[in-house]
Amino acid sequence: MKLRIAVIAALCAGLVCGVCVTGNAQVAAAAKVTVLNPMGTPPPIQLKQMAERPTTLDGKTIYLVNTGFVGTERLMEVMEEWFKENHPKTTIVSKRNPSMDVADKALWAEIQEKADGVVIGLGH
Amino acid sequence: MPGLRIQYFRGPVWGKTHDQLRKMIIQGNNPITGKPVMPEIIEKLTKPLTAEEKKTGTATLDVGPDTYTGTPDELQQLYLDKRYTDFMPIILPTVEKVEEMLKGTSHEPDEIVGRMNPGSEAGDTWSYTVKDVAISAVMAGAKPEYLPVILALASTGTTPVNVSDNGFMAGAVINGAIRQEIGLNYEIGAVGPYAHANTTIGRAWNLVAINGANCGKVGTTYMGTVGNPMNAIDVIIAENEEQSPFEPFAVRRGFKKDENIVTVFMGWGILSAKNWKADVWGPNMNYPQIIKDIYNQQDAMFGTVAVLSPPIADFVRDGGHATVEDFTKWVQADALAAGPMTAFGPAKPEGKPAGEGKPPAGKAPAGKGASKGKGGFGPMAPQFNVVVTGGTNNNYFMMGGMVPAASVQIDKWR
Repeated sequence: MKLRIAVIAALCAGLVCGVCVTGNAQVAAAAKVTVLNPMGTPPPIQLKQMAERPTTLDGKTIYLVNTGFVGTERLMEVMEEWFKENHPKTTIVSKRNPSMDVADKALWAEIQEKADGVVIGLGH
Repeated sequence: MPGLRIQYFRGPVWGKTHDQLRKMIIQGNNPITGKPVMPEIIEKLTKPLTAEEKKTGTATLDVGPDTYTGTPDELQQLYLDKRYTDFMPIILPTVEKVEEMLKGTSHEPDEIVGRMNPGSEAGDTWSYTVKDVAISAVMAGAKPEYLPVILALASTGTTPVNVSDNGFMAGAVINGAIRQEIGLNYEIGAVGPYAHANTTIGRAWNLVAINGANCGKVGTTYMGTVGNPMNAIDVIIAENEEQSPFEPFAVRRGFKKDENIVTVFMGWGILSAKNWKADVWGPNMNYPQIIKDIYNQQDAMFGTVAVLSPPIADFVRDGGHATVEDFTKWVQADALAAGPMTAFGPAKPEGKPAGEGKPPAGKAPAGKGASKGKGGFGPMAPQFNVVVTGGTNNNYFMMGGMVPAASVQIDKWR
């Protein structure tokens, strides 16, 4: 009889204990934690003011620059045709930059001196 | 440059005829605004500058607070929403876990490890500290003892999730005793996710790129047209030096045998050599010739990497090639006799514009073995590299287009 009572007591203790563990787990699951932001550091960006825009393209000179990516040459040719058809009073000058990641300093100096605007073909 | 007036149109440009370009692009609409392209260009050339466009000085991107607080479920969702993850659940980077991770290195938490941009010379170059890398290592589920390898990978500045619309991938080859020390798998399933170290190191490198350098964000810093499944977990290849008949890869790159070295690769990826008709199974297999035949089918952009199981490497040695250098010379002979190649076919003569020889997205990685022309990507001899890894249970191997770039000493990051 004593043994039976002891077993029942042990089972009851286990039950209570089990309730306690479950209760703690629920509390833990709802607890808030603090975590660290994983982002690195972006570079500071130097803002440069864009060139002032002309109010019209009539009588102006627009440079079309092909940076050399495959297909860009043909696209800029088609764009030049469009300008000639639709803006006949605009002078179009087509130029080729040696590559997309190397600037032709002489070309940029020429654009700064002579162009009123520039369209640079970057994509592919 | 903020404020730069950018005109979008429906690409791609290349491969289109004159008439297609006129109809589809010049007379087409901006895919973002839905408005005609050329009138938008005219507006961008003539519309007066806004106050925003006249601003000068320095701008800094806001990357958010140093910490976030919430329940684990809330934070998992927050990190997913903020695209801090690779879309898989993460280990939340608590202060305690990050401090534990930092025990894997003697370097100061604030030390800058490297700088990285989305690749192909596109986008901003971000920097990241030892602590930043440790945070991503925790998120990936890595152990502190893996941290020196992850720091070494991060120090190369090579993004494994390149912005290119090509869908590039990156991988790494690891040599030295660190393979056993941290439990890297170099036997059965070596290039797959079949060991904790390989898998979590590959994942951590991705997360460093995604978080430390803002890479892999679709639409801005990631544009892979179809994508690349090898971007999920970067391929980490520990060489099976013990069962290779050749000198370890890093030794062939000039390092000592007792050094722990990680070498980053970049390219299209690797797949079973059985993918090529050259590898037809039969009772008599001439593996050196099969490898050569596959090499001769490969594009020049990333050359060829042969990831050989030890039995295949033995076949190569027994075929009369005592060293990888000798084998490489033999494999490349026909291709080199045909003249230098670029990604767009035979190289153009000197003096011709090199631009049309550009790869479809961006510059080749450093160390590509190209004989570089003036101003960037020039004619090159297609590379051939050999790595030995995997089990000895069958005569299988992998081939692909991957080229090695930087090699870094891992022990410098302990």
